[in-house]
Amino acid sequence: MNDNAIVLKGIRKAFAGHVAVADLSLEVPRNSVFGLLGPNGAGKTTTLRMVLDILGPDAGTIEILGKPADHAARDRIGYMPEERGLYPRMVLEEQLVFMAAIKGVPRKEAQRRLGPWLERLGLADWRKRKTNELSKGMQQKAQFVATVLHEPDVLIMDEPMTGLDPVGMDVMREVMLDLRRKGATLVLSSHQMEAVEKLCDRVALINRGEKVLDGSVAEVKARHGKNTVVLAYDGDGAFLGSLPGVAKVTDFGQYVEVRLREGTDPQPLLREAVERLRLRRFEIVEPSLHDIFVETVTGHGKEAA
Amino acid sequence: MSAKLWAVIRREYLERVRTKGFVIGTVLGPLIMGAMMIVPLLAMRSGSKQLRVAVLDGTGTLRTAVEDALRAARFDDRLRFDVQPGAGGDHGVREAALKKAVLEGGLDGYLELPADAVAKGTASYFGRNVSNRIDLRTMERAVSGVVVGIRLAGAGLDPGKVKDLTRELDLKTIRLSETGEREDQGAAMIFSIILLMILYVSILMWGQMVMTSVIEEKTSRVVEVMASGVSPTTLLAGKLFGVGAAGLTQFLVWSLSLFAFSMAGAGPVLGSVAMPEITPLMLVSFVLFFLLGFLFYASLYAAIGAAVNTVQEAQNLVWPVMLPYILGMVFFTVVLEAPDGALAVTLSMIPGISPLIMFLRIVVLTPPWWQIALSIALLVLAILGVLWASARVYRVGILMYGKKPTFPELVKWVRHV
Repeated sequence: MNDNAIVLKGIRKAFAGHVAVADLSLEVPRNSVFGLLGPNGAGKTTTLRMVLDILGPDAGTIEILGKPADHAARDRIGYMPEERGLYPRMVLEEQLVFMAAIKGVPRKEAQRRLGPWLERLGLADWRKRKTNELSKGMQQKAQFVATVLHEPDVLIMDEPMTGLDPVGMDVMREVMLDLRRKGATLVLSSHQMEAVEKLCDRVALINRGEKVLDGSVAEVKARHGKNTVVLAYDGDGAFLGSLPGVAKVTDFGQYVEVRLREGTDPQPLLREAVERLRLRRFEIVEPSLHDIFVETVTGHGKEAA
Repeated sequence: MSAKLWAVIRREYLERVRTKGFVIGTVLGPLIMGAMMIVPLLAMRSGSKQLRVAVLDGTGTLRTAVEDALRAARFDDRLRFDVQPGAGGDHGVREAALKKAVLEGGLDGYLELPADAVAKGTASYFGRNVSNRIDLRTMERAVSGVVVGIRLAGAGLDPGKVKDLTRELDLKTIRLSETGEREDQGAAMIFSIILLMILYVSILMWGQMVMTSVIEEKTSRVVEVMASGVSPTTLLAGKLFGVGAAGLTQFLVWSLSLFAFSMAGAGPVLGSVAMPEITPLMLVSFVLFFLLGFLFYASLYAAIGAAVNTVQEAQNLVWPVMLPYILGMVFFTVVLEAPDGALAVTLSMIPGISPLIMFLRIVVLTPPWWQIALSIALLVLAILGVLWASARVYRVGILMYGKKPTFPELVKWVRHV
């Protein structure tokens, strides 16, 4: 029994001379929440399409649940593409039963499973309505039901949180974590890292078709050290940027985030700040994935150039 | 796998069949077809009402003879004219009176014979309705019979003999087929054109429906979800079969009502008019050529739909595909005139247009079996080829957005993968 839900080995895909994915290897452990992160155009969607056998890789191998990716394997995957899509004129119930049917679930069985899902996502009253009568948010939820109705072992969601209001996001998060508790593996792909970082056990950052780092969220953060300081103060903090050891200052309005160079002791910064500003807050925090990503990618970009 | 194909077919079928357009088209189709067949027949007979006419004779000698000839004139075994004397008086007074009678509705029209009618062979008919071609033809024949008779008598021939000798030919057309012979009164021609038009429009309409549905799946982005469950080939096959089955449903309803129509005969409506004969071979080929024609064009349409982003963009690619089809239709008169001629036989073998031309040949005559078989075989081969190429374009195209591919790019899609 393999411990990984998805294993990619050296996959590569080029379109008309443009390399979308270059020699990408990834392992997604079973029963984890995996974040596939990267900017637009990094190759995330292409990678997911290859996992689903919608596209064939030019090179490399893909294993799903311990077996080579094929049509049978993808019935075990639930896929929510970034561009959501439902048949606009179909009645919601028909639509969802159909979506399950193309994943191999008999109609009767799909109808039986449908009720609880619609109930849970607040769509029960819309069961007999046409899809184009539903609001955007409801269509999102309907799309989610279409993704999970065949009870997949692996859930792949491209930008799962876009288009949801805060309440919808909470419901979605709760449902996703519940699915994991029941043994499912979730792959969340996004360019908005804050949205998914809290959910993920492991992440991989990809840029220009290549993996720039991966590991558990804790590992990734530890690797980048506790070198971020958050300050809130009254007074003119312009001098912060010119202090020794400060790599970058980002002003968020309510507070300022200071990134220190590798191995810099934050104590001198604290002393200086206390002397020159009225401090309301001074906290040493872990860097966000966002920062790590930007740092890695820009550094990476320089190396590549 | 096949359960998935069924699911796709079922969805496509129900989506078409549940529309108002389908229900209306299926129900109204036979009614319109029936009307299209009956109305011309009725018009041809133009009712059983006789035309009330009078004769304005400028020669002073022909009136009685012409009146008698009109009274005796028949079309389709019916007397056509109710000849009335009209007001008396000299020529001018009588003419004014007849004109007045026509305008007031007492008469349908009057026939004026000029003084030199016999020598010049001219006459004029004045009426409120002068578009009734059959009655006017009958009148023309009756009057020219009289005029010719007088000329021949003037040349010293016996009027009785002349009448016998100049009796016109009454040509009846009888269509021969395996199931027997039947008198055909011109309805077969109208009928075959109507069937051809239905076939022509249906193949286009249902083929286009496949294209629209492919484009809609791209626009609504549902195609990516579909592609994560079924292969593009299954998706395409399901679409062709599902939409085709919906078209077939409509076609079967139409054919069966045509058949019932022909069986029951339209006696109650039309009296003695015989309905054009509908043979089982005609019905079977009607349905079969619809299906084959649909598969041929729907495959092409599916590829076009997959290659473009909007229906507007598709128009440029639809043109070259449809041109031969439309051109094929132009030849239908040639085929009607010489259904066994070299041109007709050749055209009925060319895959893109054979569904129309071979069907038309089958309706107007029964071509040799080997020709029908060859035509179908060539068409099936062509369909397989088109399907193969279309499936490849489809597979690449459905996930492509943005710039419309050029023709060389499409060729590359077919050759690649």
